[in-house]
Amino acid sequence: MRLLFILGEIGSGLRRNLSMVISVVLVTFVSLTFVGAAGMLQMQINQMKGYWYDKVQVAVFLCNDGSTAVGCASGPATKEQQENLQSMLESPAVKQYINDFQFESQAEAYKHFKEQFSNSPIVDSVSEDQLPASFRINMKNPEKYQIISETFSSQPGVETVSDQRQVLERIFSWMNGASVAAVGVAAVMIFCAVLLITTTIRLSAFSRRRETGIMRLVGASKTVIQLPFILEGVIAAVVGAVLASVTLWLMAHFWLNGDLSKQFLNTPFISSTQVLVIAPVLIALGAGLAGISSLLTLRRYLKV
Amino acid sequence: MSGGVLRAMIRFENVTKVYEQNARPALDSVSLEINRGEFTFLVGASGSGKSTFLRLILKEDKASAGSVYVAGQNVANISSWRVPKLRRGIGVVFQDFRLLPQKNVFANVAFAMQVIGKSRSIIRETVPEVLKTVGLEGKERRMPHELSGGEQQRVAIARAVVNRPGILLADEPTGNLDPITSMGIMGVLDKINQNGTTVVMATHDDDIVNEMRRRVVELKNGKVIRDEAKALYTSMIPVVGESRRLRDASGEELDRAQGAQL
Repeated sequence: MRLLFILGEIGSGLRRNLSMVISVVLVTFVSLTFVGAAGMLQMQINQMKGYWYDKVQVAVFLCNDGSTAVGCASGPATKEQQENLQSMLESPAVKQYINDFQFESQAEAYKHFKEQFSNSPIVDSVSEDQLPASFRINMKNPEKYQIISETFSSQPGVETVSDQRQVLERIFSWMNGASVAAVGVAAVMIFCAVLLITTTIRLSAFSRRRETGIMRLVGASKTVIQLPFILEGVIAAVVGAVLASVTLWLMAHFWLNGDLSKQFLNTPFISSTQVLVIAPVLIALGAGLAGISSLLTLRRYLKV
Repeated sequence: MSGGVLRAMIRFENVTKVYEQNARPALDSVSLEINRGEFTFLVGASGSGKSTFLRLILKEDKASAGSVYVAGQNVANISSWRVPKLRRGIGVVFQDFRLLPQKNVFANVAFAMQVIGKSRSIIRETVPEVLKTVGLEGKERRMPHELSGGEQQRVAIARAVVNRPGILLADEPTGNLDPITSMGIMGVLDKINQNGTTVVMATHDDDIVNEMRRRVVELKNGKVIRDEAKALYTSMIPVVGESRRLRDASGEELDRAQGAQL
């Protein structure tokens, strides 16, 4: 009976304040969409890290004809220098840090280059001797790049040691920046949402002060009096959170896994089911914020 | 002493209520006992402390000094989450009825039972009974705006007593009603009192007080200046300066009251 009564009260409250309730729904929707987008960006970063960090290599480029580096003063790398480097890679001191390595000759480098830029006219202007031969090293732990770099960059015949991870780091830091910006926007929107919920609950309490006054007089418990108001805010916020979750799912499903994954075949995008992990967090966040802000408002504006 | 505690439904012990520092207290060291089943009129000018007296019983306000006992319990010791329980034992009626305009008569009375979680079958059984007690049988489906003032006040009384409280507080229940309608309302309150409910009624209505001949407690500036059984609105023992001023303020009313005495 009391449950039915409370539900009825919630219904009438939502109807009476419909425009305010809709604005609460929309503001929580937008703010939680930004929160969720930030979460998705972080998931995407982790996904790409996991995928790429296994594949990225440290490349030790050998000197070729056109090299200008200090170590290449004596011209292109000789066969001895190359063998010397190979034996260093096989020595226990270095071996503990690496999984394996391959040698990429100038001919192989030219072949890969042609494959990669098959549609570009640049291929015609590049010849085999312009490309450097290299050792491609798979690290056990990519963080230990510094050790390889220090060991090999001063060796004769080595032009440069490059870490492919650095390129990725730049992309990731850009994505991190974007997710921080999204969180910033979300924080402002959440602040708006809290203020709006507060105002809505206040209006609702005011428009029903007659009922609550009578409820108080006949000895209704605090819960029965306050719960309808709190649930009103919570319901509006949860609807907003559900809309945000649906929007994020649609984004992941049709944009990330649709258009974008066709354009960037090599990039591992997060799947739309992974987005569903974010949904409960958003709903809990929306419900929690609304519940707390309604409760605090009622403590000030609804005497019990 | 213990017998007195049991008999007393409402007991004030040196109760003082100060709303604002430095202002005159609304109640000034009031000591009073109202027994179970008693019918008491609370009279006095506006601002004499009648409403404060009622508010303290309901624990709407806290006494600044002294203790208020309701049904033997010191209300100061009732924790805030148990205040609703205290209020379930007290019905309240106001001058302005305070009905819910969008609910019909039945729903207005049922509301008081719904919010404390009574089952639907009990509500359907009890509400018509109570409406009959207040003389509103057959008007369950009427909306408040379709009722006369007297009928609206009867709905309010029905709502106040539907949960069978031991105490009924009425704050000028006839203040908006004409004399004949008022007498009808008094009949209802009297019937409720006959059934064992302790009634405390704050009023300005001298006709009613004189007609009913019940206990009268008169307040002035927060102090009890008269407490008489089976009394009249104004004291039969003239208090020289005081009653003179009252006569000057509303001479006609006073004459009529005295006419009723004779």
